[in-house]
This record gives sequence, structure tokens and C-alpha cells, in this order.
Amino acid sequence: MSNRTSALTRRRFLKTAAGASAVLAIPQFIPGAALGKDKVVPPSERIVLGGIGIGNRGTYDLSCFLPQPDVQFVAVCDVKAARRAAVKKIADQKYGNQDCKTYRDFRDLLARDDIDAVLIATGPNWHATAAMYAARAGKDMYCEKPCTKNIAQSLALAATMRRTGRVFQAGTQRRNLPHFAFACELARTGRLGKLKRVHAHPCGMKTFSSGWATPEPEPPKEVVDWDTYLGPAAWRPFNKKHLDGFNFEKGGGLVGGGVLEWGSHCVDLCQWAADADSTAPIEYNPPENGRIVARYEDGVELVLRDDGWLPLGSCPVRFEGEEGWVEAGDCGKLALSSPTLLAGQKVAEIGGYPATFHVRDFLDCVKTRSQPLANAEAACHSHIACHAANIATFLGRKLAYDHKKNEFIGDAEANRLRSEALREPWRI
Amino acid sequence: MFYTRHILMAVTAAFILAATSASVLAKDTPAAQEETAKLIAVLKSDSPKAEKAITCKRLAIYGGKDAVGELAKLLPDEQLSSWTRIALEAIPGPEADAALRDAMQKLNGRVLIGVINSVGVRRDAKAVDQLGVLLKNSDAGVASAAALALGRIGNAPARTILEQSLPTAPPAVRTTVAEGCILSAERLLADGKHDEAVKLYDKVRKADVSKQRIIEATRGAILASRSAGVPLLVEQLQSADKAMFNIALMTARELAGSEATEALVSLLSKATPKRRALLIVALAERDDPTVLPTMLKAAQSGPKAVRIAALGMIPRVGNVSCVDTLLEAALDADADLATAAKASLEKLPGKAVDADLAARVSQAKGKTRCVLIELAGLRRIDATSELLKAADDPDVQIRAAALTALGATVGPDNLSFLIDRVVAPKQTEDTPSAQRALRAACIRMPDREVCATKLIVAMQSSDVPTKCLMLEILGNVGGKKALSAVGAAAKGTDKQLQDTATRMLGKWVTVDAAPVLLNLAKTLPDGKFKIRAMRGYIRIIRQSKLPTNQKLAMCRKAMQAVQRDEEKKLVLEVLNQVAK
Repeated sequence: MSNRTSALTRRRFLKTAAGASAVLAIPQFIPGAALGKDKVVPPSERIVLGGIGIGNRGTYDLSCFLPQPDVQFVAVCDVKAARRAAVKKIADQKYGNQDCKTYRDFRDLLARDDIDAVLIATGPNWHATAAMYAARAGKDMYCEKPCTKNIAQSLALAATMRRTGRVFQAGTQRRNLPHFAFACELARTGRLGKLKRVHAHPCGMKTFSSGWATPEPEPPKEVVDWDTYLGPAAWRPFNKKHLDGFNFEKGGGLVGGGVLEWGSHCVDLCQWAADADSTAPIEYNPPENGRIVARYEDGVELVLRDDGWLPLGSCPVRFEGEEGWVEAGDCGKLALSSPTLLAGQKVAEIGGYPATFHVRDFLDCVKTRSQPLANAEAACHSHIACHAANIATFLGRKLAYDHKKNEFIGDAEANRLRSEALREPWRI
Repeated sequence: MFYTRHILMAVTAAFILAATSASVLAKDTPAAQEETAKLIAVLKSDSPKAEKAITCKRLAIYGGKDAVGELAKLLPDEQLSSWTRIALEAIPGPEADAALRDAMQKLNGRVLIGVINSVGVRRDAKAVDQLGVLLKNSDAGVASAAALALGRIGNAPARTILEQSLPTAPPAVRTTVAEGCILSAERLLADGKHDEAVKLYDKVRKADVSKQRIIEATRGAILASRSAGVPLLVEQLQSADKAMFNIALMTARELAGSEATEALVSLLSKATPKRRALLIVALAERDDPTVLPTMLKAAQSGPKAVRIAALGMIPRVGNVSCVDTLLEAALDADADLATAAKASLEKLPGKAVDADLAARVSQAKGKTRCVLIELAGLRRIDATSELLKAADDPDVQIRAAALTALGATVGPDNLSFLIDRVVAPKQTEDTPSAQRALRAACIRMPDREVCATKLIVAMQSSDVPTKCLMLEILGNVGGKKALSAVGAAAKGTDKQLQDTATRMLGKWVTVDAAPVLLNLAKTLPDGKFKIRAMRGYIRIIRQSKLPTNQKLAMCRKAMQAVQRDEEKKLVLEVLNQVAK
């Protein structure tokens, strides 16, 4: 971690006050008051954490959790024995003991009363379902994206978090990076003039099917628990190519292309910029000339496009108002229509999209019971926007969406694509 | 072999579906009906399961009542049951409901659980009696699924069954019965039946169910009771049980009304410092302006954790009337409190706050003046004349604060002031502050060409270290003049300047640096500057969004100029990337 990044770990970025344009931060509770004599958080003040589905991305997320002084990681669950062992080794090395317990069935991990929160990094097939099981078991959670497979899951996720009173943070860590947050703030607070258009990078608009691949010999359950891996996805025989987790059944296996994979970041930032965390566009057009154009109720356009971006790194967004524009990407820099938009402000440049601040935001909210920046409500609506754009792409026609009824207007086929039955015995 | 071929066909069919079939089947045309009939025929045939599975997915979008019969036949099949429910759950109409109800009578185990789940999703009111029977099934999974389905249906008969079952269901099922009751209560609330909802929530609160269900019912009861829920909220906020306190803390943000605000305020004095701090945050997040006096009082004295919490939350509810309190705390000997107060003053909204702080600068002395100047910079308050005066203050800390603030606020007209302080500092100890300020100011100048011109002129009378600094700033500013000046320095004879200039060119953001870098790569003598230029050129090819043919042309030029294998490999990597 760079010095600059390190210096910022104590800082909370840009939390929006509900109903206000002010950009605020809630105070941090962990340092100072909770720290013991040796700057060690006493066990009673630590957030006891478990991990569910900790592969490549999960291991990275875990590397952001482990250095936090108020976190104690005690358990890992994975359907793969090799991953269980690898994560246990990381945790045990960190704490100098052998205490990290391993589980194959996440319900056993969730049944532990001592665990406060879980990191869910399974793969998109499991994200929403596991998150809702965790909430019903009384755990707070940091859940990787894309968080849901369809519109119905998005709505159920938000409703479940409200009902259970859990803290949910989607793994859309760019909300807690200063340059993205600043860009969104410029748009949201009118400093670009009346907002006209928000642009997101979908990283491809193809649709994928996980399908039913050629059967291969199924490994022993202790090595790879294929049945649990499939989880809520419809049954199919074992095949190694499905085991990557990353693409398996993304968006339900038919309409979850790049728009969902990358959109859960970029569209999510556009939603924030458009001050639309509790809604989403009402109109979606299928791709035309490499563009998907959606429209919010107030006329602001959401444009998904792969080309024409400034060289600012991956996951770029651009916000255009009547008086100016801003563009940001993963290099950590901003491009502005005029330097005066900075108004003298120095925006920290943190490239490489680290999740450290996002994790810290989550942990602080676990303690204060505030809503983190990528809370379930915000994640619900940004995912709805992605799913709806994908459905318009799949059906090849313009769709109108009613956010009060949560249905497409006059399109039965689109409405059928809002949800998908889960394989037994799983449910949301 | 035959099986494999058909599987591949099925998988391929799924991909084709994604690409084309939507448009084919989008309308209720004879062609679409014929296509649907073909899908049903696949289910009737002895096609491999893979093909039938994908067919179910298609019928979920396009199938109608004609497909229900064949789909229902697959429900007992453990491998296809979930696929066929994807279709049956989606197909509208009573036929699918009837098929699922029929299956509930015949199946057991996991596939039965799946069917019950689908009945719940479809909210089939005609299934309530059957679900009531299944609620007593000896398989806890089946009984729990029935409880959930009843909760999702949530009509009066379903509620009655759930309420009756709550005290008597086996422990393994009771928690889901409680969940069903909570879902039913939500439906009552949606229908405006608050009193009935409260009664149902209360039954769950008092039942022998898991802690999490009691938490959910408590939240529900408080919110459904509206202002009458305040005593229950207060009770939970005083609970020794952390989980109950936590749910109350969340609910405190959701429950509207002044009664709740007043109750929270009255609790502050009774709470431990740790809980008081948490209550302060919750109180502020209610966005009720009447809490401001409470927040100010908490910020002024008391346990440190509470003061820090209050200071942090004041910007959310505060205004210019908070400046005195915050300023006093910003001068506190305790560094944590002072930092929290300054952060609060930085964020406190309103132009009135800017005006208030600006007016105080000229009158203030010592540490107060220093803090106010710092805030002028942090808030970007236009107080240039005062800051220019302060930059000549006898106190070194005030001078440093003033220079920093000028870096954040100065306009083009006064940029020369900072340039002069860098080129010819009045006090050598001010140099680091002046350099940082100049760097900050230049980056945000509206006209970078004008800014670059001023820097280039100033460079002429500067010593080498200052010239290096100016080159770095020019690199950050960018633009034509900056590029020209930095390019010239890279070609010059002074090694220090060459070092800085090639370093800045090596990370130049815009494509116009490419020809400059290529020229340097060709003309500089062998050594690190030449390598740096070549690598900078290659980086621009890699990172820029230029058309492919332009990138290829640049790669050709790079290959012609490149001398070392290391850089050749980099060019080949870029070519590979372009090819993809």
C-alpha cells in the first residue's frame, strides 16, 4: 500500500446525507476510544468475521479485512477443499494459531453465534442467496458483485436487509475511492449544471449461457462439493469449466453479460451520480451502434458504451451536465471540462481500485448501524438497471419499467425474465 | 457419442437463444406458436436431458398453458425438476398453479420442497389448505418450505395457520413459521392494517423462536406502531443485549416523528459513553434539525468518544450557529478532538459559514488565526487579500498556513505571488510550503497555457533545483507550451534537468508527447534517458485509445528505433494487445 493510501485509511469518504446535497463523513469509532493500551482492539470490541467462498477475489478482499485492528477472522467456508486449506493457512499465519475453522456448508458457519459478519465472495450464482441466508442468520455482510442474478433477487435482497436489520455492503468499492466519489459529487450537487447524461462502460454487451456441459467424473464431495457449488442454479452434471465461479450463472445464465459484470460498478456509479440510489431508469433501448441508452424519469440518459473513453484506465464513467463534464477511471485520475470544477480542491489519486476504504466503511457501519455507501438499497437499484438493460438487449426491443410496480410495462416476456426459480431446497 | 453430440447441440442452442430467438419469438405470431410447439415436442421426445433442460429455459419466456402438462411431468426428475420449475414458476395462468398443487400431493423430499417454494413465489391462494397439511410434514425441510410459502401468500387463512402453528411447531420448523408470520405482517402493513400487523409481530416477539426472528419482529412492531412504538424502541435501546440494542439503533433511524427524537435525546444522559456516541450518530441520521442544541452540547464537553461523535455529525444537522463551538474545539489541546472539529468545520455547509470564517481571519491572532487560515484553504474561501498579508506574518506557522491556503484558493492574477515565493523566497524556511502551494495552484489553473508561460518565464532566472521543480509542475499542468519546454529540457545538456524532464515525459498523459518521446529515443545518446523515452513512447501506444491502424504505425516506428531486447519485447506485447 502506498503512503498516500495508508494515510487515507483513517478517512471516511464522502457519505451522502439522506435528502441533502452535503457530502459528509460519519465519525470513526474504532480508533482511539476502542483501542487498548498497545493500540490493540480488545477482543470484546472486535468484529468476528467468517468467509464464504474465498477464491481469488475473496482472498483479495480478505487481505483488506485482515489488517483492520478490529477484525478477527475465525472461519472459512468453501466447496473446494484446496481453498478452505489456503484461507485457513492465511488466517492462522496472521494470528499465529490454528483457530480458523473450515466448513463445506455455509449454513454451519452461519449457525455460529460468535460470528458477527461474513465476507461473501462465492461467485455471482450464490451471492444473493447466500447474503439472504446470512441476513436471516443475523450476520452483517460484505458481498461481492454482481450481487444478484435478476430483478426479483435485487428487490428481495433490499427487502431482506431492511427486515432483518443487517448491514450490507456490496463489493462495489469504487464508491469509496475519492476520485470516483468526487466525480459523482460534482454531478449530484449540480456543479456540472443540469445533469444531461451519465456514461458507463459495460465491458461487452454479449449474453452468456452457462448451459449444460459434457459430464465429467465428479470429484469426491470433500474435494469439491458440486451439489453445493450448483446451489440455487438448476442442476447439471459436473464439468470443470463451470467451476470458475466467476461467470457461472451470472445473471441467471441467459441475460447476464458484461453489462451486469462491469455495470455493477460503472452503472452503480452512474446511479449515484444521478442521485438515483432509490430508483433506476424507466426506459431501456436495445444496443444500437454499440450503445445501450436508458433514460431516467427526469430525462437524464444513462449511456452504456465500450468505446470513446479517455485513457483513464478500466471501469470508466463520464458525467455530462449543461455546464461541464467529468470523466474518471481506475488510474485514479479525473478528467474535467475545466479545472475550476475542482474549486481548489485536491482530490486524492488512488489508482488500482483498492477495496480497503470500502471495507473500512463496512466495518464502521457494523458498529454504528449506519448504512454504508454501497448499501442494499443502492445495490438493488443499480442491479435492476443492469438487469433491465440486459433484458432489453436479449429481447432486442425497447422496454419501459414501472418502479412502483416493479414491472415492465406491457411486455409479458420481459416480465418473465425478472425472476427465475431456484433449485431446491434453496430459496431467497 | 450420440449423447455428447446432443449435449453440445443443447448448449449451442442456449447460445443461439441468447442471440436470435428473442426476435423470432417476440410476438404471438403463427411462427412463434409453431416454435413453441417445437419446444413442447422436445419435452415429449426422448431427447437428452441437456436438451430438455435448455428447452425449459426457453419455455419460461415463451411457453403458455399448452406447455404446462409436459413440463409438470419433469417435476419428479431430480435432475430436471429445477429446470422445469423455472418454466412453471414463470408461466402465468391457473394451469401452472394447478400443476404445482398436483405435484405437491405426489412428491416428497427435495423436489417437493422446490415445488412448495414455487407455489410460494406464485402466491397461489388455492394452495393454502394443502400447505397447512404440509406444515405438519415430518420432514422439517418440507414443513419449513410450507411455512415460508404460507407467509408469502399472506392472506387471512394462511395467517391463521401460521399463528396456530407458531407455539406448536417443532423447533426446527418454528423459526420459519415465525418468518412466515413476519412476511404476513408485512403484507398487513402494506394493506394499511397496522394494528393487526403489530399483534402478529408481538406474537413472534413472545414466541420461543430464534433471536434473529425476535429482532425482526421487534423492528416490525416498533415501526408498525408508529409513535406508539416509541416505548418499545426505548426499551430496546436500554437493553443490555447488544443485538437488541443494535436493531433499535437501526430502527431509531427509520421511525418518523418528534416523539422518537425526543425519546432518543432523553436517553443520552442515561447511556454509557460508548452507547451515547452511537445514539448521537443515530440521532443525527434522523435528519431532524431540532437535535442541533443536543449535538452542540455533546460536542462541548463530556467523554471524548461522545464529543468526537457529535463533532463528526454536526455538519449533517448544523449551520453557521455551530462555528463558535467547533472553533473552540478545533483549538483543543487534545489532537483527536481538534482534528475532528476542524474536519467538521471543513464540511459544515453553507455560504454563511464561509463568510463568518472569512470575517474572523483579520481579527484573529495566534493559533486561532492559524486554524482560520487553514480552514480558508480547506473550504476554498476567497480571502486572498488576508492570506497575502498572512504570508508575511512574523509567525512561521501562520506563513505556512497562508501559503497552503493560497495554493488552494489563489486565482491566475495572484499566481505570480507564489512563483516569486518559490524563485526568490523571503524566508528560506517557507520554501517547502511555497513549493507545495505553487504545485497545487498550477494544477487547477483554468488556462494551462497561461500558467505554463508564467512558469517558463520564471525558470529563466531560477537555479537548477528550482528549474527541476518547475519542470515537474509543467509535467503535471500539461499542454502545448509545457510539453515544448519539458521536451527542450530533455534534449539539453544539464543532466539534472534531463533527468527530471525525461521522467515527466515518461508519464505524460496525452498522446501529443509521443513524437517528442520518439525523437528523444532516436537522438539521445545511449543511457537511461534514451531508454526512458523509448518506454514512454511504448506506454502511450499501449494506454491510448488511438485507432488500431495508428497504433500499428506507432509500433512500426518504435521497432525501427528500439535497440534493446527489453523494449522490443514491450512493443511486441503492445502489438499482441492491439491484435486482440
